[in-house]
Amino acid sequence: MEILWERGESNVREVADRLGRPLAYTTVMTTLDRLFKKGLLARRKSDRAFSYSPGLNREQWEQKRAGDFVAGFLSVAEPSRDLLISCLVEAVGGHDEALLDELEKKIKLRRRELSRRAKP
Amino acid sequence: MMAPYLLRLLCLCLAAFFVIHSVVGVAVAAAGGAAVRAARRMRPRSAGRFLLALRLLPAALGLIVVGGLCVPSYLWLEPESNAEELGAGCLAAAMLAAAVCGISMARGLRAAFRSARHARGCERLGRLSKLAGWQRPVRIVDVHAPLLAMVGVVRSRVVISKPVIDALSAGQLAAALRHEEAHRVSRDNLKRLLLVLAPGLLPGFDGFGAIERGWARFTEWAADDEAAAGDAHLSLALAAALVRIARMGGHPPPVRLATSFLGDSREISARVDRLLDPVLVAPARRGNSARMAAGLALAAACAGSMLHPAALQTAHRIIEELIH
Repeated sequence: MEILWERGESNVREVADRLGRPLAYTTVMTTLDRLFKKGLLARRKSDRAFSYSPGLNREQWEQKRAGDFVAGFLSVAEPSRDLLISCLVEAVGGHDEALLDELEKKIKLRRRELSRRAKP
Repeated sequence: MMAPYLLRLLCLCLAAFFVIHSVVGVAVAAAGGAAVRAARRMRPRSAGRFLLALRLLPAALGLIVVGGLCVPSYLWLEPESNAEELGAGCLAAAMLAAAVCGISMARGLRAAFRSARHARGCERLGRLSKLAGWQRPVRIVDVHAPLLAMVGVVRSRVVISKPVIDALSAGQLAAALRHEEAHRVSRDNLKRLLLVLAPGLLPGFDGFGAIERGWARFTEWAADDEAAAGDAHLSLALAAALVRIARMGGHPPPVRLATSFLGDSREISARVDRLLDPVLVAPARRGNSARMAAGLALAAACAGSMLHPAALQTAHRIIEELIH
C-alpha cells in the first residue's frame, strides 16, 4: 500500500522492484491480487499485465483498520466486552496523560531555552 | 405540470440554484483535500478565509446567478399571459434544492437557537466582571467544569469558569483571553453560522467535511498566532494554558456556534508544537484595503455585465431549456 500511495498506479514488477526485501514476482502478484479481492486495490489491464492503484487513501485505510479492529473487539461475549471497553477507556486516558506530559516537557524545555537566551 | 407565472419563477430559481450549486459544489468538494493542502502554505488567517470562501462559493454563485440573471431575465422577457408546462427535470431539481436549502436552514436555526440558549444560560449563571490585566469585561460563570469560550453569534462575549481562573497563572490567563479576543474580532462564531447555513451537496450528504475541518483548524491557529503576536513568551504562556486546561478534564460538550479555547482536543499537540516553534508563530498581517477595493470593483463589473440585455437574453434562452 505504501508503494502504491507513493508511486500511484504500478504493475507487479514495479511494486516488486521497490520492496525493501527481495520477493518472488509470483508472491507479490498473489498479494496484490488478494488485496484487490479484498477491495483495497483497484486494477486495470494494460498490455498483458495488471496495473494496480490504491482503492483507499491513507486516511480511509487507517479508518478501515480501526473500524475492523473495533468490530472484532466488540464481537466477543458481553462480560469480556465491558471489560475490554473499560480497558480501552483507561488506555485512551493514559495516552492523553502521556501526550500532555510530553507537551509539558517541551514547554519546560522551551522556557529554559528562552531564559538562557535572556541572560547576558 | 402546468404552472402559473410566479410558481414557474419559484421553481426556476430553485432549479437553477440546484444546478449551479451542484456543479460548483462537486468541483469544490473534489478539490477539498488539495485546497486544504494548499492552505497549509498560507498564513492561518488567510488559509481560513480561503477555505471559508471556497465552502461558501457554491451557494454564493447559485444565489448570484439566480438573483442577477434568472429573476431579471424572467421578469423582463417572459410573457405573463398564460400558464406553461414545467418539465419533470426542472421540477425534480427544484424539489432537491428546496430539500437541501430546507435542511441547512433548519440546521442553522437549531444551532442558533441552541447557541442563544447556551449564551442565556451563561448570563444567568455568571456575572460580568473585569479580570486583572484585561480591559474588556468577561462573564465569570459559577460552574465546576473548566469553561473558557466565546459565546454568542452577533454580540460575542468571553465566558470563563472559576476553575479555569484558579488554574491559570496571570500570564497564561492573559494569553488565553487574547486568543478568545482574536476569535471575537474575526467574528468566528458568525462564520460558523454561515458554514452551518451553507447547503450540502444533496439531502443527507454534505461533501464539504474536509474543507470545514480545515477551516476550524486554521481558525484556531490564526487565533493562537494573533494571541502570541510573535512574542515567544506569550506563545509559551498560551501553550502552557492549553496543556493546563486540557489536563483539567470534565469539559462541557461543545456548542456548535461557540468557540472553545481548547477547540478540538485532538489538535492540541499540533497547536502546542506550533506555539513552541519560533519560526511559525509570526505576527499576523491584517487584510489591506486595496484587495477589498479590487473585490468590490470585480463585483460591480460582474453586476454590470449580468444586467446587460444580451446576457439577460442568453439567460432567458437557457431558462426556457431548463423549464421544458
